[in-house]
Amino acid sequence: MGKENKFMTSQTVRIDLNRVEGDLEFELDIENNVITDARCIGTLYRGFEQILLNRAPRDAMVITPRVCGICGTAHLYSAVLALEHAWQLPVPPNATRIRNLCLMAEGVQNDLRQTFLFFTVDFCDDLYQKHELYDEVVSAFAPFEGAFHRETLEFSKKMLEIVAIFGGQWPHSSYMLPGGVVTEPTSQRVIDCLDIVNTVSQWYEQRIIGDTLDNFLALDSAEAFFTWVEKEKPAHSGLGILTRFARSISLHQRGVGTPHMLSFGAYCDPETWVAGAQSDQHWVKSGFYNGETGIISALNQNEITEHVRYSWFQDYEGGKHPWQGETVPDYQPQTDRYTWAKAPRYADKVVQTGPLAELLIDGDALMNDLLKQEGGNAWLRQCARIRRVAYTFAHIRRSLEELLHNLNEPHIIAPSPSVYTQDGEGYGLVTAARGALGHWVRIRDGVIDKYQIITPTAWNASPKDSQGVRGHWEQSLIGLAVDDPENPVEIGHVIRSHDPCLVCTVHFVGTGKKITYRP
Amino acid sequence: MKKTVLWFQTGACGGDTMAILCADKPSFQSVIDNYNLDLLWHPSLSTIKMGRLDQVLEGILNDEIPLDILCVEGSIVTAPSGTGFFDTYKGQSKLHIVEKLVEKANYVVAMGTCAAFGGVHAAYPNPSDCIGLQFEKTEPNGLLEEEWRSRKGLPVINVAGCPAHPNTMTRLLVMLAQDIDLSLDYLNRPEEFFNTVVHQGCTRNEYHEYDIEDKELGGLGCMFFNLGCQGPITPAICNKDLWNGRSSKTRAGVPCFGCTSPSFPKDQDLFSTEKIGDIPLNLPLGVERHKYMAYKSLAREAAPQRVKKYKMKP
Repeated sequence: MGKENKFMTSQTVRIDLNRVEGDLEFELDIENNVITDARCIGTLYRGFEQILLNRAPRDAMVITPRVCGICGTAHLYSAVLALEHAWQLPVPPNATRIRNLCLMAEGVQNDLRQTFLFFTVDFCDDLYQKHELYDEVVSAFAPFEGAFHRETLEFSKKMLEIVAIFGGQWPHSSYMLPGGVVTEPTSQRVIDCLDIVNTVSQWYEQRIIGDTLDNFLALDSAEAFFTWVEKEKPAHSGLGILTRFARSISLHQRGVGTPHMLSFGAYCDPETWVAGAQSDQHWVKSGFYNGETGIISALNQNEITEHVRYSWFQDYEGGKHPWQGETVPDYQPQTDRYTWAKAPRYADKVVQTGPLAELLIDGDALMNDLLKQEGGNAWLRQCARIRRVAYTFAHIRRSLEELLHNLNEPHIIAPSPSVYTQDGEGYGLVTAARGALGHWVRIRDGVIDKYQIITPTAWNASPKDSQGVRGHWEQSLIGLAVDDPENPVEIGHVIRSHDPCLVCTVHFVGTGKKITYRP
Repeated sequence: MKKTVLWFQTGACGGDTMAILCADKPSFQSVIDNYNLDLLWHPSLSTIKMGRLDQVLEGILNDEIPLDILCVEGSIVTAPSGTGFFDTYKGQSKLHIVEKLVEKANYVVAMGTCAAFGGVHAAYPNPSDCIGLQFEKTEPNGLLEEEWRSRKGLPVINVAGCPAHPNTMTRLLVMLAQDIDLSLDYLNRPEEFFNTVVHQGCTRNEYHEYDIEDKELGGLGCMFFNLGCQGPITPAICNKDLWNGRSSKTRAGVPCFGCTSPSFPKDQDLFSTEKIGDIPLNLPLGVERHKYMAYKSLAREAAPQRVKKYKMKP
C-alpha cells in the first residue's frame, strides 16, 4: 500500500509493540506523516500492593520478584533494602558482595538481550532492504538466524548461572533476606563464577566490541570513539555494526525526550553500606542531572512524587510521595485518562532513567562528551547500554576478588525473630537494568500496611502529569517522521532504545477498597 | 508441514518466557530448529512487524492459519466484573481473545502456575479477579469448564511452576511436536515431569535424614521443619534437573515455596512451617504421622557427628 492522500491529513493510530517486556501500546496522532502527540498506554493491571497487604513482611521476598520476570533480582534487592531500612538492620559485607554480584549478572543478561534480541532485530525490517548495510545487518541480527542473536541467547543464558550459583535459580528466587543472603561464599562457588565471567567477557571483547575492555573503557571523548569504531575489529563488532547502521538512519538525531536524568546509584559499597545513610554509598554514584543547567545534584528521595491526573486511578491534586499516595483503580476508557501507569516526577520534573543516566551521573567522560556533542538520542542510549556491560564485568571481578579474600566472613547477620514483626517504614532504591527502581514499605502491627513500587519504566513511560507535561517516551516521539503508519519501524527504534518493561509498571495500587468501573 | 506455535501472554510477569530462554536440555532455539515448528508469535522473540499480531490472530480465528500449539503465559484477568478489561490488547480483553483461540488449537498449554491455576496474581484478595485457564486455584473450572477439551481431545496441559522449569517447557513442546501420548495427573500436569518431588535430590538430604533442622535461614541444614520448605510435598524436577544447569533453591538455602501447587502462594508466612505441636502440619506425601514421629526421633539419635556439627556442605 503506497502513500495515499489520507496519510497526508491527520489520523490517530494505535500501535502495540512486541519485543519489549510486557504490554505496551501507543496512541499516536499523526499529521502529514509526523507525530504530533503521543500517549503511552499501560494496558495491564495486577494489583500487587493489595496482594502484599497484611502479609508477613518477608513474604515480599517471594512476591515482589513476581512483579517482573526479567529483573526479579532488582526487585528482590530493593525489597530487602526496604525491610532493612525499616528495621535498621546491619548487613555484612559479604552479603552485599553476593547481592551485588547477582544484580550485576542479571544486568549484563538484560543489556545484552535488550540490544541483540529486542533492538537490533528492527534493522532487519523490509523497509531497509535497499540499504547498503542490509545484508551485513541481516547476517548479524536476524532473529534466530543472525550470529549475534544466536550468540546472545547462549551467552546471556550463561551469565545467569552466576545467580543460580548463589541463589539457586533464575528467574524468581528469594536468596536475599533481611540481614544478608542465604548462601555462603565458598571457593568453589567463586571459582565457578569467575569461570562464567571469563567466558562471557571474552566473547564480549571478541564479538561485541572487537577490542579489550580496558581499551574500550579508556575511550573518553566523542572523537576518540568515532576514530576507534572505524578500526577493523570494532567496526565489525556488534557495537560497530549497530553504530554504523543506526547512525545511517539518523537514530543519533532522534528520540531525545526529556533532558533531565535520574540515577539511584548502583551497587551498595560492601564496606560502608548502611540503610538510610545520608550520603551516597554506592560504587556507581547516584544523583539527579538537570538537563537545562548541566548540574548534577545529590539524590533526595523526598523529591519523588506520583501524579494520577491522566491515569485510571481516582484523582488527587498534584503529585504525592509514595508514602502519602493513595490510589484506587478507576477504569475510565472514554475520558482523557489513558493508562494504568502513574506519572512519577522528581522535583516536579520529567526525568529519564537508564544506562545513559547512570553512566552520565557517575561521570563517564565518553557519555558526557557524546551528550554534549549530539544531545540525548536513541543511538546514544543503546551505546550506553553496551558500554555499561563493560563496566559491569569489572565490578563483577572486583566483587569476586573481594569474596575470595573474605571467604570466612559471615554472609548473614540473622535478626532475632522478634524483629520480623516490628513496626517501621523504609525504602530500598536500586538501579535495575532499566534504571531507577524503588520500593517503599510500611509495617504496622507486624504486617505490611502499605507497599509502593516505582519502576524505571514507570519513570520513562510516564503519562502526562497534573500540569499536562508529557512523559519522557511521549516527548521522545513527538516530531518523529513516520514513513508508513501501517509499519512504523521508526517508532520501534526509538522506543526499544529505551528498553521498556511494562510488566513492572502497572502493578501497584493503594489501599482503597472501592473500584469504580464506567464502561 | 510445520506445526504452528503461538505463545500468548495474558496477566503475566514474563517469567516463564525468561525461563524458557534459559532452557538447555533442549534449548528453545533447538526445539524450533529441530522439531519442525513455526513460531507464529512470541512476545519477546517475534520477528514479525509491529502491529502484526492482530493479523496472526485474525488468520487463526478465520481458519486461514492452523494452530497446533497454543501456549498461554499469565493469569486470566477477569476484572472488572468478568469483562477482563484490566488486561487488554488493542481494546479487546485478553480473556475474550483466549476464549476464541483455544477453540482453534490442537493443544493448549498453560505455561506456568498463573495460566494453570491463577498463581500469584490470584493470591488474596485477588485484586484483578485472576483465574487459571481450567482451574481456579484448587477448584476445577477456570476460564474453561472442567469438561472442555482441545481439538486433540486433551484438557489444558498444566505446566505448573513459578516459573515453570525451563526444560519441562521445552521437553513438553517436543512431545507435542511429535504427538507423543501424554499422561496427565489429577491436576492435568504432565506426569513425566511431575512424578518426583523437589526433596529428591536436595543436597541437604543428610540433614533431613538425620533430623538436623535449621531454625534460622542462612544455614546448611534442612528447612522443612521450621523454615517453610515444601520440597517433600511438591512435585517438580528442580533437584533432578538443575536450574540454569547449576543448582536449585533448596540447595542454595531458599525453601521450596511449592510453586507447582494450585494453592501457590500460600496465604501464610512463606518462611515458616505450619506445625501441629512440634511436627509439621504437612508431612511428606503419603506419610503417616505417628510413624513419621517415631522415625524422626530414631533418626536424630542415629545422626553422625559430621552432620550434627554441620561439616557437610550442601
